[in-house]
Amino acid sequence: MLLAYRCALASERVTATAIEANEFPQLSQEMGVWAVPRIVVDGEPRRDGAVPEAEFLRRILALPA
Amino acid sequence: MALLRAEEETKVRGWFAELERPVELLVAVGPEETPLAGAQDIDFGAEMERVCEGLAELGENVAYRVEQEPDGFPRFPAVSIRPEGRDVGVRYDGLPWGYELSSLIGAILEAGRDTPSLRAESLAALETLDRDLTLDVFVTPT
Repeated sequence: MLLAYRCALASERVTATAIEANEFPQLSQEMGVWAVPRIVVDGEPRRDGAVPEAEFLRRILALPA
Repeated sequence: MALLRAEEETKVRGWFAELERPVELLVAVGPEETPLAGAQDIDFGAEMERVCEGLAELGENVAYRVEQEPDGFPRFPAVSIRPEGRDVGVRYDGLPWGYELSSLIGAILEAGRDTPSLRAESLAALETLDRDLTLDVFVTPT
């Protein structure tokens, strides 16, 4: 979660929201949340799990590995 | 019940004392609480206020205020983490309890920095963004 926050604080283009999955079960279901953290970029799920900074940036910016 | 254990509180006080700029926590409470299995009669809005009040007590540069159903908040309760009171799109929706309290504390620490803590390569990658990017990260307290 912290990486998402760091990106939002570093770029005016980025916003980051943590969503407590248990408290919003309908939204979690809509986003197919089975494991956390689940990263959703512009409404599209982008795989689950905590990852290092470089990989996180690749995922959110859809950069090639 | 205390928000943090004594040794944790001491650490957080130390971190908050080193903030380079003030951080405001805008607590948004809504008209009704989301029912949560097993949560019984917990008032999530009141609990969110308690959490943010407790954090604000740990550092002069951390403040909080509460608004009822402010614009721009789709879910309640929520907290917007605002460097120098500015809305920069950093929010936690739901109650950050358990392990997730560290996410909120981490957000405050980052918001309280004059310069981002990301690596130079990451900052350069973000510089290439030519559109807005919305990140939602689903988390749980454990």
